[in-house]
Amino acid sequence: MKQLSLLAAGLMFSAGVLAAAADQISVQEPYVRLAPPNAPATGAFMVIKNNGDKDVKVVKADNPASKVTELHTHLNEGGVMKMRPVPAIEIKAKGEAVLKPGGLHVMMIDLKAAMKEGDVVPITLTFDDGSSKQVDAKIVRPMPAAMPMEHKK
Amino acid sequence: MSERVLMVIAGLLATLVIGLAIFWQPAMPERPLPKTVLPVAGDFTLQSAVGPVSLKDYQGKVVLIYFGYTYCPDVCPTSLAATAQGLALLTPEELGKVAMIFISVDPERDTPARLKDYAEFFHPGIVGVTGTPDKVAEVAKRYGVFYARQKVDTAGGGYVVDHSSDTYVVSPDGKLIGKIAHATAPDRVAAEIRKHLNQP
Repeated sequence: MKQLSLLAAGLMFSAGVLAAAADQISVQEPYVRLAPPNAPATGAFMVIKNNGDKDVKVVKADNPASKVTELHTHLNEGGVMKMRPVPAIEIKAKGEAVLKPGGLHVMMIDLKAAMKEGDVVPITLTFDDGSSKQVDAKIVRPMPAAMPMEHKK
Repeated sequence: MSERVLMVIAGLLATLVIGLAIFWQPAMPERPLPKTVLPVAGDFTLQSAVGPVSLKDYQGKVVLIYFGYTYCPDVCPTSLAATAQGLALLTPEELGKVAMIFISVDPERDTPARLKDYAEFFHPGIVGVTGTPDKVAEVAKRYGVFYARQKVDTAGGGYVVDHSSDTYVVSPDGKLIGKIAHATAPDRVAAEIRKHLNQP
């Protein structure tokens, strides 16, 4: 509570200058894609919103389910999709960064154990000012179970 | 401008349009798409967990072929999940006329048994196959597939494989007839398959 009132005071008197990056960030729809059996890695996806008036960068991600956690993006070079680490993911002031399959994502490499659908992985995002935020991402199957579907257009 | 002048102009335009329609016959493809020449592709025999699998085994079906590998961190799952969702939109009757083959471009790490588990995770109808490195390279070349190893220290096994991520569509008589781009939305995947199912 003390922190909250301090933060409120800070916001009132200094227009958020004292606020840490993590405090101006909100994360929506976080999920981890259930990895296929034997897969060494999988991705986590989310929408990171920056509600503040300063650009913020995510410089690091961590999670307990894999040995290595990296920030990644996709490049499409002549139909060849390439996945490469990026040093940071920038979220502009009042903007958002969309982490989705085929684009930016948090890469969980070298999974320590088989994943279970429905489990929650706590992912810690660290920002360029050193502050951090924990995001609880549920493990989701990447596709609906194959079943007949009524598809009305 | 008087009505008469307008009528004359309209008449001239109409003549021009009709004239063009009759006399000007450029070689237009049926659809206004850039015409890509598809490679020859053709038949192949590779190994699955239950023995050899050839393209010609699926004669009479529309066959989807995807080249990837099981250690693929994000590209293959993205593409295979979208394709599997597309397959899930087909009726059982339509699905009976479709087959899908997942060819590993990483035979060093991908055993047929491993490929089986991986492919079936996405859709029970997907058959995982691979072969010797030379054999896989030869098939990939015929389909116009590029792949190359990249050393990445943090990747399992120390490398990733960059590869073309299109899904190839083969007609019931074994000819390459189209490509579905990486991560095409499921409803468009289903529409693309249906287009070829309903060919006379």
